[in-house]
Amino acid sequence: MRLEPAQPCQFGTGGDLFGLYHATSGSARSAVLMCPPLGQDMIRSHRVYRQLADALAQQGIAVLRFDYYGSGDSAGDSAELDWARCRTDMVTAAGELRARSGCTRLIGFGARLGGSIALNAATAARLSELLLWDPVLDGSQYVVALDALQDALRADPMRFGEPRTYEDAAGQWLGFPVGAGLRRQLDTWRAEPLPMPVRVFDSLPPTAAHDWNLLLGDAVNVTELPTAASWDELDRLEHAILSPDLIRAVGDYLRVAA
Amino acid sequence: MTKERVLRFGRAQHLIGVAGLPAAPAPTGSVGIIVLNAGMVYRVGPFRLHVEITRRLNACGYPTLRFDLSTLGDSGASNESQSRAQQIRADVADAMSLLASHAGCTRFVLLGLCSGAQNAHIVAVDEPRVAGAIFLDGYAYRTLGFHLRHYLPRLHSAALWHRFISRKLQAAANQRGDDVFAVSFPPRDQVRRELTDMLDRGLRLHFIYSGGVTRYFNHPRQFRECFGRLASRPEISACQFEGTDHTYALQVDRQRLLQEVEGWLQRNFPTSDGSTA
Repeated sequence: MRLEPAQPCQFGTGGDLFGLYHATSGSARSAVLMCPPLGQDMIRSHRVYRQLADALAQQGIAVLRFDYYGSGDSAGDSAELDWARCRTDMVTAAGELRARSGCTRLIGFGARLGGSIALNAATAARLSELLLWDPVLDGSQYVVALDALQDALRADPMRFGEPRTYEDAAGQWLGFPVGAGLRRQLDTWRAEPLPMPVRVFDSLPPTAAHDWNLLLGDAVNVTELPTAASWDELDRLEHAILSPDLIRAVGDYLRVAA
Repeated sequence: MTKERVLRFGRAQHLIGVAGLPAAPAPTGSVGIIVLNAGMVYRVGPFRLHVEITRRLNACGYPTLRFDLSTLGDSGASNESQSRAQQIRADVADAMSLLASHAGCTRFVLLGLCSGAQNAHIVAVDEPRVAGAIFLDGYAYRTLGFHLRHYLPRLHSAALWHRFISRKLQAAANQRGDDVFAVSFPPRDQVRRELTDMLDRGLRLHFIYSGGVTRYFNHPRQFRECFGRLASRPEISACQFEGTDHTYALQVDRQRLLQEVEGWLQRNFPTSDGSTA
């Protein structure tokens, strides 16, 4: 199937949200809403999101990629990023994808905190299935991990000649300001089982603590990817996350399921 | 109130960019600011730096465009048989035409970090619409002064030796051949000649070196050591932000950079009313 160029768009109230719609060359047989992660994970996974969207569009699946308010090219300062607003933006984006694709049944995809937001807003966005790539399931654990990474960044000899002061590094996670609201919202969030099919694509290293069934329930399906992704590695902070395994696995699954 | 518009453009409709268009139309002859990709990072820039820069400059009245060069970010290939340098020149020419048609500006200042600075240089060499450039961690060359400043303090400092060895060990461990900001520089004489030609054509140039490139630039004086009399010309300037990293990961450093960029632009490309572009 021929690959159509992605169509840039602005939608939501006042056109505040940025999106790229990957149309199919004929009518779409299904549609996927791609929810980005937050912060540096979003920049690192930009390439793989584009590659996956292109691959799915070639399979006849329409895709919308978008940025939450306060992230990427969408309006708003990075400090204004807000968990509840991300949730609302995802619902708005789902409406945009339905209108553009003509599909009523939508599948959600999200990596890391993008997966968490997809879990949190899937019901409100009337999604029918979720595909999650290494989603964050326990917000408070993740806040602790991000605080530790930020403190390591502050003193990273590969980045700074001298360790920076605590004040210089305060209120930020890995290059992005973090408002007290977002921190509190994330700190109190934990995933819960959903009344819809959920499939996790697992590329976390074996050493990382992750039990997908503990919070998502026994019905969750897990596809283990052969290569570990380098999330949460400070020395890879500015390296793109690339995962041909993920693109292949999601494409193979949706070739049959969508 | 600035309006941002996301646009697909270019000779093959293959480029994606976001134009920041201040409410008041730009006066004739005013400058637009074009921000180039930093390494392989897409148009929002490292830690969203390019979004912060363009929006701050929009607030001052400068029209801006942050976009992805061919094959980077969300841009596709133009399917032409060209060298990378030719593609970059053609892409930036497309970007200038786009901003001219939307904002009315006729001259442009290019801004780029790392490989973005190199690409800004490549374009500024022979593009007549370029009026200036801001090079973030652009070209510089090690000098005798660099080596003295680098090695002399290490002779008697255990802490510096410790940090030096730590960096070397980490660098060796990280060498997996995919450094997103790896660049190589052309010969110094060529760069000096090209910069001289730019200044002779009336361009204004500003170099900002971060503390993240002390492997090749470790003192503001080094700019003069590198480029000699060229550095004395009033149209060219340089500064160093000691202590920062290469991509401005901390907010306090980004604010300092933004202030420097805005200040330099307002001094060198003020608007007709004396306040903005």
